[in-house]
Amino acid sequence: MAQPKLRFRISQSPVIRYGLAVLSVSVALGGALLIERLQLRNIALFLFAIAVAAWYGGTGAALLALLLSCMSFAYFFVEPSHTFYISRADIPYFILFALFAWLVSWFSTVRRRVEADLLQAHDKLKIEVSERSSLLNLTHDTIFVRDMSDSIRYWNRGAEELYGWTPEQAIGKSSHELLRTVFPSPLDDIQAEFLRTGRWEGELKHTRADGTEVVVSSRWSLRRDEHERPVAVLETNNDISVRKRREQEIESLNQELAKRSTELEAINKELEAFAYSVSHDLRAPLRHIAGFTELLHKKASTLVDEKSNHYIGLILDSAKRMGNLIDDLLTFSRIGRTETQKTQVSLAQLVREVLIEVRQDSEGRNISWKIGALPDFYGDRSMLRLVLVNLISNAIKFTRTRAQAEIEIGCADGNKDSLVVFVRDNGVGFDMKYVGKLFGVFQRLHESAAFEGTGIGLATVQRIIHRHGGKVWAEGAVDNGATFYISAPKSQGQLWRP
Amino acid sequence: METMNKLGRILMVEDDPKDVELTLIALQDYNLANEVVVTRDGERALDYLYCRGEYKTRPSDNPAVLLLDLKLPKVDGLEVLKQIKSDEKLRMIPVVVLTSSKEEKDMVASYKLGVNAYVVKPVDFHEFVNAIKELGVFWAVINQPPPGSVRK
Repeated sequence: MAQPKLRFRISQSPVIRYGLAVLSVSVALGGALLIERLQLRNIALFLFAIAVAAWYGGTGAALLALLLSCMSFAYFFVEPSHTFYISRADIPYFILFALFAWLVSWFSTVRRRVEADLLQAHDKLKIEVSERSSLLNLTHDTIFVRDMSDSIRYWNRGAEELYGWTPEQAIGKSSHELLRTVFPSPLDDIQAEFLRTGRWEGELKHTRADGTEVVVSSRWSLRRDEHERPVAVLETNNDISVRKRREQEIESLNQELAKRSTELEAINKELEAFAYSVSHDLRAPLRHIAGFTELLHKKASTLVDEKSNHYIGLILDSAKRMGNLIDDLLTFSRIGRTETQKTQVSLAQLVREVLIEVRQDSEGRNISWKIGALPDFYGDRSMLRLVLVNLISNAIKFTRTRAQAEIEIGCADGNKDSLVVFVRDNGVGFDMKYVGKLFGVFQRLHESAAFEGTGIGLATVQRIIHRHGGKVWAEGAVDNGATFYISAPKSQGQLWRP
Repeated sequence: METMNKLGRILMVEDDPKDVELTLIALQDYNLANEVVVTRDGERALDYLYCRGEYKTRPSDNPAVLLLDLKLPKVDGLEVLKQIKSDEKLRMIPVVVLTSSKEEKDMVASYKLGVNAYVVKPVDFHEFVNAIKELGVFWAVINQPPPGSVRK
């Protein structure tokens, strides 16, 4: 802001102020008398004296100067001279003079008041700016002010620290040129939006004094004057280079992950092809072994000895067992590969179906069934059916030695997040020592001569329940029955309705 | 069998000679084996159906049923099925897929192409024999084939 060249200040002392009035009128009178001598009547000198008195002495001095001027004028210049007598005809002149004088002193007073206000405002602004500058210097943020022609007007310490230019080096330069700003969109578009809304936020790329690049999150606010004309831009920048780098790292990690995922998908496809091939190609030779051994048995059973017939029987048994193994393994692998198709499944209905399916296994047996109220389950129907088939046929199988088998299927009290369904039997049970082995593939806790099986059933159960977000566990004691539990969370899409 | 003395001809498309032998043994019990024509790949099966190549001189009637394996050399089973079901003259021939594959996608693909039955060959010999017998009796004897099929 330009400093005023003259400083107008009303003197504090009344003596000086009123003395000034007397002095200025005296000088005017002297001048007037001199002019009078030269036959030049001029009252302008007195007006000037009043103006001077008003300017430097204030209203009181102006009034005194007016009074003295009138008296001097009446005494020296109005006929009869050297008296204070004023004829009636002269009175309008005096009134006119007084009016002029009042006008002059009023102008000067107003002017001075404006001047004083201006000075005060200027001083206040100076204090404010210095206060704010020091405050703005405290912040870690980078703040600078540029005018509408992009010339930097203010540059805080944060800006110096971030970019490496001192305020002296930066102020007056074009900010976009100095910082080699790279904008996210054309500058004209940004500028248009900024002028419309008065604000802009975005990411900018700047180049520091040392030539390194920095990415900043930039916020612009527009400052307008009292006529709403844009005058300056306050730009606040935050260094987000680190964040940006992290984002890029995350991005590259994501890409890596996507690559891995594609690879996994390819491996999965290969696995699928493998399983398909196992399904088709392994089964065919097995069928031939079983088929032709059977034919051999038919034709040769009467010709060969008992031992040979026994061997033929063993071949047939093994072929059959291998067929079952292949089927169970395929089922197990298919659960991992296929998508679950979830619907609302009534477990009560499903249990009824499964009981019909396993009827063959329980023929001629004395089994007392106890089926409790069962909830609805949101899940894949065919998979859940497999779970029940496995658990129920296990219960039938392992109660075989019981004269009176008892099998209970029901819904146990879970906590508020999950509900639990169990299958309990009074069969041969198992040793809790081996409970960890129960759900593993090919893990069997009974010799196959006593209880046939492939050792894949419970692993399949576990895999299905895990795919539904649930848990499986078991309790048992040797010769004292076993209970198998399956649970699923009530939240996460599972709907239970007891 | 008095009322069902007319036997339909069975076209069997199967590349594995052991499977062919087992199937023929199973069909022998009902004297169905004599009416079985075997082709070893999909291309020959189509040659038979279109009376071309080595089957150029055969009478131009359709088989009563086609037993189709899926995994075949040259033209695979699904392709054969697709060609049959999209041909105006052949689409009426009942096609039974007889395969080792339990894969759901094969099943779905076959039914989408309009297969008449899908049978997974049982590993167990007795089950296998029973399945083949039932198939043979049903399609070659009980089922009334579409006009233009061979009856003896």
